[in-house]
Amino acid sequence: MALAYTDYYEVLGVSRDADPDAIRRAYRKLARRYHPDLNSDNEAEDRFKELGEAYEVLSDPDKRERYDRLGANWRQQEQEAPDANFEEFFDRQGFDSDDARVEFSDDLFERLFGGRADGGRGGPLRGLDREALLELSLEDALEGGRRKLTLDHREIDVNFPAGVRDGQLIRLAGQGAPGRDGGPPGDLYLRIALKPHPHFRPRGLDDLDVDLPVAPWEAALGATVPVQTPSGTAQIRVPPGSSSGRRLRLRGRGLPRSGGGSGDLHAIVKITVPTQLSDRERELYEQLAQSSPRETTA
Amino acid sequence: MNDEQPVELTVVAQRAGVRIAVVRRYLEFGLFEPHPEPAEAPRYDPLTAARIARAERLRRDLGLNYAGAVLVCELLDRLRELETPQ
Repeated sequence: MALAYTDYYEVLGVSRDADPDAIRRAYRKLARRYHPDLNSDNEAEDRFKELGEAYEVLSDPDKRERYDRLGANWRQQEQEAPDANFEEFFDRQGFDSDDARVEFSDDLFERLFGGRADGGRGGPLRGLDREALLELSLEDALEGGRRKLTLDHREIDVNFPAGVRDGQLIRLAGQGAPGRDGGPPGDLYLRIALKPHPHFRPRGLDDLDVDLPVAPWEAALGATVPVQTPSGTAQIRVPPGSSSGRRLRLRGRGLPRSGGGSGDLHAIVKITVPTQLSDRERELYEQLAQSSPRETTA
Repeated sequence: MNDEQPVELTVVAQRAGVRIAVVRRYLEFGLFEPHPEPAEAPRYDPLTAARIARAERLRRDLGLNYAGAVLVCELLDRLRELETPQ
């Protein structure tokens, strides 16, 4: 099978005759730039893995020599017995490497394993946490439900509870990046983003605003009019003499609160004038205009 | 927002995939604090495991010591706070 050839010198940006110090310096510099905990770009993690692979080969004189000589096929020539690893070393020494009390300084590791801290293994470690955006309509957020997400070429089924809010994080344990060397996977955090709604606008954490169209005579005389709420249509009493912008509160008709209960819905009076008047309507408006002197404000 | 209950140190270590001694080392360096809620044994925020794993990745991958890894984590947290719209 043909193997894809990766030019490790090019990956690290060093010349083919670079000495070990130059290779280490190049790796450290690029590792800081592309470390997935420091760089959230999508391609950073792949680039970081590639750097680790390049450094693993070019920092080891034997592997580097085989790579220089054999190119893409260098791995086929790897010897059967791999280098002694951490566990094997301590087994030989009579230590139990699982002993939680055993702690070693970086210096000791450096002396024993020659630069372990630069892309070396170092035992199991939990994978990276991931964050993804879950865009929901207000209705979906209120009802809860399921979604299928594709992340890292995997399909994930997500259940979100009823009453999630904009900006809320939902943790999906173990759905993050795979662990390293047998470590547990990270978690996936879904950040809820509510799509703009054609009628309701969020106000604070639990309250909603909605426009309440009323006719001029309803605003002047008072009326009971229908208003849209997230759970359907309700009736609201518009007091006489309500001007545009007046805020009428419907308690408990907003978004559910995490501790129980719900926020309020604020219906904002918006006086709507008919665009076309019948003859009779025009006549009545003209009478109204003549009998009602214009209010002037300073 | 996280509704999970605080957990014991052994659970933090298990979830982070590291030995308990490593968790204690980060505790000494102030990467995290015990949960303020009184309990028989100290308990920790469940998000501590992810915090330790991040510090440990940085320490191993970039050749940092514990103090350096903790410092970078704190700076990353501050950066995130600044980048998050109020």
